[in-house]
Amino acid sequence: MSTQDKVKINKLPTGVPGLDEIVGGGLPEFSFNIIAGAPGSGKTTLAHQFVFANATPERPALYFTVLGESAIKMLRYQQQYTFFDPSMLPGSIRFINLSQVVLEKDLGAVLEQITKEVEKANPAVVVVDSFRTMVRKPESDMDLQSFIQRLALFLASWQATTFLIGEYAEEELRDNPIFTVADGLFWLRQTAERNSIVRKLQIIKLRGQDSVPGLHTFRITDAGVQAFSRTFGLSGHAKNPPTHRRLSFGVAELDKMLGGGVREGDSVLIAGSSGTGKSVLATQFIAEGIRHGEPGIVAVFEERPQAYAERATSLGLDLETPQKDGKLTILYLRPLDLSVDETMHSILDAVQKIGAKRLVIDSLAGFEMALSPGFRADFRESLYRMIFALTGIGVTILSTVEVDESFTEFPFSTYSISFLTDDIIRLRYVSIDGQLRKIMVVIKMRGGNHAKDIREYEITSKGVVILGKRLANYEGLISGIPVRSDRPESPEEPSRDTGMEHKD
Amino acid sequence: MTAAPGMRDLAYRLLVYEAGAGKASEPSEPPAIRVYERLRQSLGEFVGVAGFQSLASRALTLSRAEVPSLSAARVAADGSLEGLGASETQFDMGMDSATDGEIILIARLLGLLRLFLGEALTLSLLRNAWPGEVVEDSNSAHGRNA
Repeated sequence: MSTQDKVKINKLPTGVPGLDEIVGGGLPEFSFNIIAGAPGSGKTTLAHQFVFANATPERPALYFTVLGESAIKMLRYQQQYTFFDPSMLPGSIRFINLSQVVLEKDLGAVLEQITKEVEKANPAVVVVDSFRTMVRKPESDMDLQSFIQRLALFLASWQATTFLIGEYAEEELRDNPIFTVADGLFWLRQTAERNSIVRKLQIIKLRGQDSVPGLHTFRITDAGVQAFSRTFGLSGHAKNPPTHRRLSFGVAELDKMLGGGVREGDSVLIAGSSGTGKSVLATQFIAEGIRHGEPGIVAVFEERPQAYAERATSLGLDLETPQKDGKLTILYLRPLDLSVDETMHSILDAVQKIGAKRLVIDSLAGFEMALSPGFRADFRESLYRMIFALTGIGVTILSTVEVDESFTEFPFSTYSISFLTDDIIRLRYVSIDGQLRKIMVVIKMRGGNHAKDIREYEITSKGVVILGKRLANYEGLISGIPVRSDRPESPEEPSRDTGMEHKD
Repeated sequence: MTAAPGMRDLAYRLLVYEAGAGKASEPSEPPAIRVYERLRQSLGEFVGVAGFQSLASRALTLSRAEVPSLSAARVAADGSLEGLGASETQFDMGMDSATDGEIILIARLLGLLRLFLGEALTLSLLRNAWPGEVVEDSNSAHGRNA
């Protein structure tokens, strides 16, 4: 059987931003799905979004309400969402209350009523909310199983895509026959972590579809449910082949130390203590990109965009004009109760919106602190996924991280995130001749040669300026307390290593 | 607090429309009952019998405060209306049997719908039961100014 002979399953838009990506491109047409979760987890809202995205006058949606939330109140609240279009009721979306038949009759009568309405309306979408209350009566397992089986068969035969909504507990997953019959099982969770609410969505199963596994963060806003795929919506993007292009930092001597600049698509970490010029270097990096026609994003957490742009102006770098021209976006992210995935989605959206080639995250410490405590455990993992996704499509990322000065160690990061980076530049203070001066060294460049030199630099009105040659006449520079050696200063060019990587 | 003028106008238009429709089909019910029954059928589908019965009971209670003669009316368990229009002065506006109390009752019911569902959704639901021009146009051929 060739691929052409195989049945093609149409994918319907879920109407939930981010969810199409998670379910593998859309919801399979004619599928029989369960949305499960505790009260208040967003089940009804998700179903409404699907209904409003797919119902038409020709193929309407039938929304069966049973016991529980009254239809009047449900519509009163649901119409607050922006996706709710009152003009679609009742022509394209019909709400039908089954309370009476459920209360007074048995499951056979319920099935008969649903059958009658479906045959009359020829719907594309059928929702039963809440299915749990519909089958609350003590029926034998066989009755319930038979009812579910017949309902699923009937609705699929009538070419309806179905959602049954229910308040199920995870312990029921194993024994409840409804989960066996269902083609798709969407589980919504809502947990309190310290002072924050964390909402997660899991596609436990989805037949015929390559859904993204795992727990995905979601949020309910006035636009309804918005889901944030763990792959950040970039799983379908073609990976850009690695280029050999070198990107300038805007600091000529640093470019030389890097063997000609940062490799395009690298993740660069600038580590140093407070005041060593991490943000200045990052600003020069982004400004240099804009000068070369490469749009950029700066995600700041510790100062506001205006202050960031003004500080750049003091260095002779114009960040105002490129912002007006759509070549630069400075994102100020202080979400407090946002998940790390949501925050990263904001960055990704900005990257995709302006086609950014360079991204600065200033700083990782600020980024982590901006997240609510409940999400910090996911920080490194999510950061890894974002960096992997973005560098995969050719974006060059520069992150800054503050490290404590130590006179016994030379740490690159307190985050143990060095493995996320291709290149590490370390800045630090040293005590020389009664002065607190600054030195810079390239710790690693994955797959490329770089200078081994330790260079002194200053922060001037033109930004970071690297001074003279390497500091050859000192020993113990990286300790911060060097001692002068008798060796004369080296007259030769900055040396390069042999390409061997430094491991931290 | 009295029924909102906009709701009274809308109720009046529906009653006038049903009065005209009632004449064309024999035997006819009073227009108020025809309007009420249409609402019961249309709304009952999605709010359920109990849901409609609750709304109608509330509307009747509010109406009685304005028109005491409605005290004879009651909403049955199935949502149907009983004892309406027994002792009221009839309006002479082209309708044979619509009373002030009936207009108020329908207006109150519509007002509750608007309160809970908003104007857009209420009108959308009404348009499913009556011609759009009756629901929306106060100057329609069936309207007060006709």
